[in-house]
Amino acid sequence: MLNHHIGIGFRKDFAEEFLTTNDLQPAFIELAPENWIGMGGYWKKQLDKAAEKYPITCHGLSLSIGSPDELDVDFVKQVKQFLKQYNVKVYSEHLSYSKCDNAHLYDLLPIPFREDAVKHIVQRIKQVQDILEMPLVLENVSYYTPVAAQMKEEDFITAIVNESSCNMLLDVNNVYVNAFNHNYNAKEFIKKLPLNKVAYIHMAGHEKVSDTLIIDTHGQAVIDPVFELFDFAADLINPVPVLLERDFNIPELTELQLEINRLDAIVSKKWQSNYAIA
Amino acid sequence: MQLLNKETEIQQARLADYCRTGIEPDLIDINKDNLYQYRRLVFNIASDTLETAYPITYSFLPSEIWQKLVHDYFAEHKCQTTQVWRMPLEFYNYCKEKDIQEELKIPFLNDLLYFEWLELDVHTMEDVTYPKTKEIGSWLNDVIALNPEHKLIQLSYPVHTTAPTEQLEEKQGNYFLLIYREKETANVQFIDLSMLYVFIIENITNGLKLSTILEEANTLLQINDIDLLTQHVLTFLEDLKQREFVLGFLA
Repeated sequence: MLNHHIGIGFRKDFAEEFLTTNDLQPAFIELAPENWIGMGGYWKKQLDKAAEKYPITCHGLSLSIGSPDELDVDFVKQVKQFLKQYNVKVYSEHLSYSKCDNAHLYDLLPIPFREDAVKHIVQRIKQVQDILEMPLVLENVSYYTPVAAQMKEEDFITAIVNESSCNMLLDVNNVYVNAFNHNYNAKEFIKKLPLNKVAYIHMAGHEKVSDTLIIDTHGQAVIDPVFELFDFAADLINPVPVLLERDFNIPELTELQLEINRLDAIVSKKWQSNYAIA
Repeated sequence: MQLLNKETEIQQARLADYCRTGIEPDLIDINKDNLYQYRRLVFNIASDTLETAYPITYSFLPSEIWQKLVHDYFAEHKCQTTQVWRMPLEFYNYCKEKDIQEELKIPFLNDLLYFEWLELDVHTMEDVTYPKTKEIGSWLNDVIALNPEHKLIQLSYPVHTTAPTEQLEEKQGNYFLLIYREKETANVQFIDLSMLYVFIIENITNGLKLSTILEEANTLLQINDIDLLTQHVLTFLEDLKQREFVLGFLA
């Protein structure tokens, strides 16, 4: 059966095997533009081979949409050029910040859930969308502590999506992780999100490090409860591309294909129509 | 227009600062048990990136010194690149500016970091358009075509041939190195050069014909035997052709 919906995160760790075997057959691949912009040589050749075989979506790391710092306009323009070069139709990022006080941190920090942060971020999203000339797709991130929150997470996300006209990347695993870490009901949380604006879904594995904490590692297989949450969410959402993320502890590619098959089996029953990635 | 309240901005800055320095911050309504995860995750990314970029330096330095160096770098330096794989260059520059090699009494540290960075840099640098070439031509009177994806560097210690030991410290001198990326395999290759051959390659890169370069070298270096010089240089260039650094002649 042809997989129409499910993509895979394109990782250097398995690029060569992926491109020279048929063990893994995603509908599309996703990559972080920061990891490829300006890169030549061997990896450029691999990227170009991948781009010949698969449509590409991009999922960025360094936009830092929630940063108090000025938006890095030159960086956004670089991303725009990259998206154009590889005919990328979906550019997603994280609703978090990774740069502050003029220093990049290369990881995702939680933004205070506050009204003033909503206004600040909405303005920045609009600025990004004006430069890119396409909607930004923002992901609900996992977080391990709130900071100075004055509103609920779901209200924070909804306000930003609605006021900015951006789209939403629903990371189902992140909802699961946050629901566990912050003791709320994952399904109820999903129902409160602006589901009509979901344009992309992420699925991933995580690691439970204690009785009270899960870390969003992308280093394990997706667990059954997260598949079940995905099944629940898929009933509420129009057909969109779904991405399986696996960044560490990469297993045999055939194992990743089994996860893709399971995701595809869920959505094939629910989603009759397809969508266009490229 | 400033939409972010000062308090929100301060809270964000304090969390970020904590991730860089590890100094416990004053934050509102946090889960104190979990806050450490952010410092751990952020620092691990920086540390892993540097270990991957500088495997020889990482193996050579005692673990506690490496950890302190990475900690100080990340705390004191504000990383500017949006691309984490380019961040190790900032680490090299930080070590140079802070004169860490003097502090640690490792006189070849800058060279070692530079060499390791350049291997990564040449491997990943943007593709350069190759010149149009012809296979047949005159070594002396055509312009020789070189692989454009190369760098010529000078080192004070032979970190490319000698493991970082006390013996290396005794070998201070002038070392010239050609680093290039093979066209087909994209592998990075290194070739030791004498100063004469650096002069030859630099001038070929500048578009001069070999006959002109040889005349200049003969005078400048007071060799006074153009035939012998020509013979040596041609042997050298033939070797570079075998190694696919010399591509042929500009068409």
